Amino acid sequence: MGDDETLDTHLQELRRGTVVLACLRLLTTPGYGYGLLEELAARGFATDANTLYPLLRRLEKQGYLRSEWNTDEARPRKFYRTSATGETLARSLTADFRAIADAIARLPEGD
Amino acid sequence: MDAASLTDRYLDAAMRTVPERQRADLSAELRASIADQVDARIDSGEDAAAAERAVLTDLGDPDVLAAGYTGRVLHLIGPRYYLDWWRLLKLLLWIVPVCAAFGIALGQLIAQAPIGTVIGQAVVGALWSIVQVSFWTTLVFVVLERLGHETMDAGRWTPDRLPLPRERGARFGDLVVSLVWLLLVAGAVVWDHVLGLAYANGSWMPVFDPALWPWGMAALFVILAAFAVVSVRVYQRGGWSYGLAAVHGILDVILFGAVIWLLVEGRLLNPALVSALTDATSAEVPRILGVLLGLGLAAIGVWDILDAVLKAGRARARS
Repeated sequence: MGDDETLDTHLQELRRGTVVLACLRLLTTPGYGYGLLEELAARGFATDANTLYPLLRRLEKQGYLRSEWNTDEARPRKFYRTSATGETLARSLTADFRAIADAIARLPEGD
Repeated sequence: MDAASLTDRYLDAAMRTVPERQRADLSAELRASIADQVDARIDSGEDAAAAERAVLTDLGDPDVLAAGYTGRVLHLIGPRYYLDWWRLLKLLLWIVPVCAAFGIALGQLIAQAPIGTVIGQAVVGALWSIVQVSFWTTLVFVVLERLGHETMDAGRWTPDRLPLPRERGARFGDLVVSLVWLLLVAGAVVWDHVLGLAYANGSWMPVFDPALWPWGMAALFVILAAFAVVSVRVYQRGGWSYGLAAVHGILDVILFGAVIWLLVEGRLLNPALVSALTDATSAEVPRILGVLLGLGLAAIGVWDILDAVLKAGRARARS
């Protein structure tokens, strides 16, 4: 029981930053809260709604996302799109992630 | 219960802590997101009411969600201030209640309150000061946590801030100091008896009641000798032990207890000196001096006992 919980905590910590990276790269095509939640899950970045929605707001406040209300459809939705600074951030995060993945690949493997 | 009203109630609850100007925008977005999630669950065959309930359950406590949106802190004192708060509180709680109790006891004794009242008031004052100090210190840090972000920053930690090694009271210098002190006390007592340490009515007279000689003073010299033995043992051992601290404490209790008892009984000071003082000033002066002397002696005795116990604790922690 306790082991499962600590495992979950470690996995969560490892994945925390990757959701930001995934959002920034996915939102180069505009998306809205729930649609993005589904797409993240489909692409292997399972995220809770109550984590994602505040995260989008935070990234918007920091200028990495732009937002716009779309009222064309029956249900008005707020659409987010990655800004120019957001794309720069996504590039450096991706580069850093690759560097970490390479570094991990070079670590001694215990078996 | 109507399913739509559940979402309304959730939104109301979540928007309570959100600033006015963000509220409409956030509320509309959250409502659309909830509706999207509910629709998805209904499409996969769930009952509408159950879907609504499940979505809201997953979103969790609306206040926590709102805190995520607004960046509101959900703790009283966070890691940024916790250690500063704890260190300051500990320091104040060592100082303030003791001073409060001492001050109250002093005032009550001078006002000639009965001993039960003195102790009761001092204890109540100490407890009350603990409550006050804890409350106000914490309140200041709670406010800082929410408003002041750079005000408390004392700069980066460096190794220079490491605490200095503390006194263990076991060096040769400590032994010499304590032996010299004991000799000074013994010398002063003898000097007082032979030549007098107080000057009143044009001549020198003893401070201590001559009736204490020889047996009272003999007992004093025995106790002083016992203190000397304890000091030598501490030096030989290379530090205090709880056993030595206990012996030292018992000696302190006997010595200070006896002196304070004699003071209260009016048998400590030379009656000739007291009457000379009363003649020169008023009867109040010797009484207030007596109160100050008694409390001062009690404070010194308590400190001496605590000091030995603390040093014994440190010596044990080190070995």
